[in-house]
Amino acid sequence: MLIYLYDGSFAGLLTAIHEAYYRRERPEQILPGPGEGNLFARYVEIATDQAKADKVYTAVEQKISGKALRQAFYAFLSELPQVGTWIYHYWDLGWKVGKKLNLHLHDPRVSRILELSRKVSGEKHRMLGLLRFRQLNHDLYYAPMEPDYNILALVAPHFSRRMADQNWIIHDLKRGLAAVYNKEQWFLTELSQIPPLETPAEEARWQKLWQEYFDSIAIASRTNLALQRRFLPRRYWKHLIEKI
Amino acid sequence: MELLEKLKILANSAKYDVSCSSGGSSRSPKPGSLGGTHPYGICHSWSADGRCITLLKILLTNYCVYDCAYCINRVSNDLPRAFFTPQELVELTLSFYRRNYIEGLFLSSAVFRNPDYTMELMIEVARQLRVEHRFNGYIHLKAIPGADPRLLALAGSFADRISVNIELPTSQGLKLLAPQKKREAILKPMGFIAEQIMAAKEERARSKRRQHFAPAGQTTQLIVGATPEPDLQILKLAENLYQRYQLKRVYYSAYVPVSSHPHLAHIQEPPLLRENRLYQADWLLRFYGFKSDELLDPAHPNFAPEVDPKTDWALRHIHLFPVEVNRAPFELLLRVPGIGLRSAKRIVAARRVHSLDLEDLKKLGVVLKRAIHFITCRGKYHSPLDLDAALIRNALAGGKNGSPESQGEQLTIFSLLPQPPAPENIWSAITGEL
Repeated sequence: MLIYLYDGSFAGLLTAIHEAYYRRERPEQILPGPGEGNLFARYVEIATDQAKADKVYTAVEQKISGKALRQAFYAFLSELPQVGTWIYHYWDLGWKVGKKLNLHLHDPRVSRILELSRKVSGEKHRMLGLLRFRQLNHDLYYAPMEPDYNILALVAPHFSRRMADQNWIIHDLKRGLAAVYNKEQWFLTELSQIPPLETPAEEARWQKLWQEYFDSIAIASRTNLALQRRFLPRRYWKHLIEKI
Repeated sequence: MELLEKLKILANSAKYDVSCSSGGSSRSPKPGSLGGTHPYGICHSWSADGRCITLLKILLTNYCVYDCAYCINRVSNDLPRAFFTPQELVELTLSFYRRNYIEGLFLSSAVFRNPDYTMELMIEVARQLRVEHRFNGYIHLKAIPGADPRLLALAGSFADRISVNIELPTSQGLKLLAPQKKREAILKPMGFIAEQIMAAKEERARSKRRQHFAPAGQTTQLIVGATPEPDLQILKLAENLYQRYQLKRVYYSAYVPVSSHPHLAHIQEPPLLRENRLYQADWLLRFYGFKSDELLDPAHPNFAPEVDPKTDWALRHIHLFPVEVNRAPFELLLRVPGIGLRSAKRIVAARRVHSLDLEDLKKLGVVLKRAIHFITCRGKYHSPLDLDAALIRNALAGGKNGSPESQGEQLTIFSLLPQPPAPENIWSAITGEL
């Protein structure tokens, strides 16, 4: 059994797919390295090569569709170990059927990717609403989150347009990543340490007002906690001001 | 009075307003300024009743000169009263917005002194936000019936959405429960707003310099169950409003008993199931190509409690079924119980490259619980109930199908993106208002 290992980046995966075609091999799996020591497997480490990755990128865009590229990228952000293999199979069918790829909904190679992509996209949309900024000092807003998927780079552009006149940091605590915005542009950076989080009095006041509003707006005779939990799963409560 | 105390009182007084959508607007972001809108709206939280919180839904004041029997804020009701200054509301909105608690402001009000005075104060809040703070987020203003049309025109220039509450389904109901409000005073501003929206849209198509007028359209809401109208009458009214005034939404609000007025229906619990059936039917009108006459008629003036309106319709027209999923036109697929917009779209896409059998439908994510009784796949009918309407009705009424929190569609809302259904903001709309 042949297994390709890539460095965990999207460019790495694209390089691996490039190699599979040009080496005329059919890896059984494409996994983020390092290999897990399957005795019967032959592991081949693929070094990420931006030029090769770009080639695959353009090829997918031109020979399949921009959509097929985006769906694969969104699915990739799920970070599931097998997602590389699945994307490889998805595009495999894509080379054959071209831009009709996403019509093949009955084919698991397609439905698997589309479903994952929908999940990632769904969490992204959910986070646009659930993210909570705290004003640390006069001019810096800080929002921690722990999403299931790696959606930081998907949510940051929304906030760079919307909160355009304030400095902010969106911090993915799970992955030690942060998006930082300085009123002009945003960029991604590693950030594993949690900044000291003392809450200024003014901030505490707004949080209290929001909690009070949250409680007052519910209609007691319609209480339906199961419905609330369905839309607002418990794993997101940790960083919600109104649920703390 | 403390801001906190005011917020409590005026949120409490605003909570019976159902509308909470924040989508459908086309306000483009302005570089360097605060705020924007999202085409499908964004829900920011869900309160203990399971309703979505997207806007800061609040009253300017709950001091009211009116005495509408169904309303918590009626002048004869003994409850704490408060009044926000425009500055306070502006500060609240901006501070909540900067922390991403909300999409914007939904400002309504009781009628203080007179309609014009109230409307002017509300407009002042919107003006300060838009002009002084260059706030580009969502603003929904409630139009106060009886306010001068010039004020409505001004409100529309600042707001993304305007709504006038129609309150009760008939003018008799209005006369009985809200004697100070006249049906004409409600319909007139609706017509005026509809004209303004249309005119602004047309002019903006020619020149972007023309000011916006409520780019997210107008909506209304009415109370269900306070007066004795049947569902047919309510649905007809909604259909009319959609056609005559191009409303984006009609919201139905199950009457929550807030007083024991002799003219009011005496109920213990809000009629939630009925409200839910009306929403389902409303969806069928707007997205599924149904007419109110098809769903209800004088012989069946009310929705069946045991099955949803589409299933009920299909069972009463069982001769139209089964339909072949590989050949039925899109419009017909939409009429199959259990097949929603998303499933229908998927079927139409997938069958272009592959002939679908029952297993394929499952792989497409089509929920077969109801649909299986109404379709054939490659000519094969899979239900054991053999198109017997009575048997099918019985089988489908069994589960917890009837409870308001069991709409299968709701569960999967998050999976709608990135291919959201076209019209308006299905997204927040569904999640928010049921």
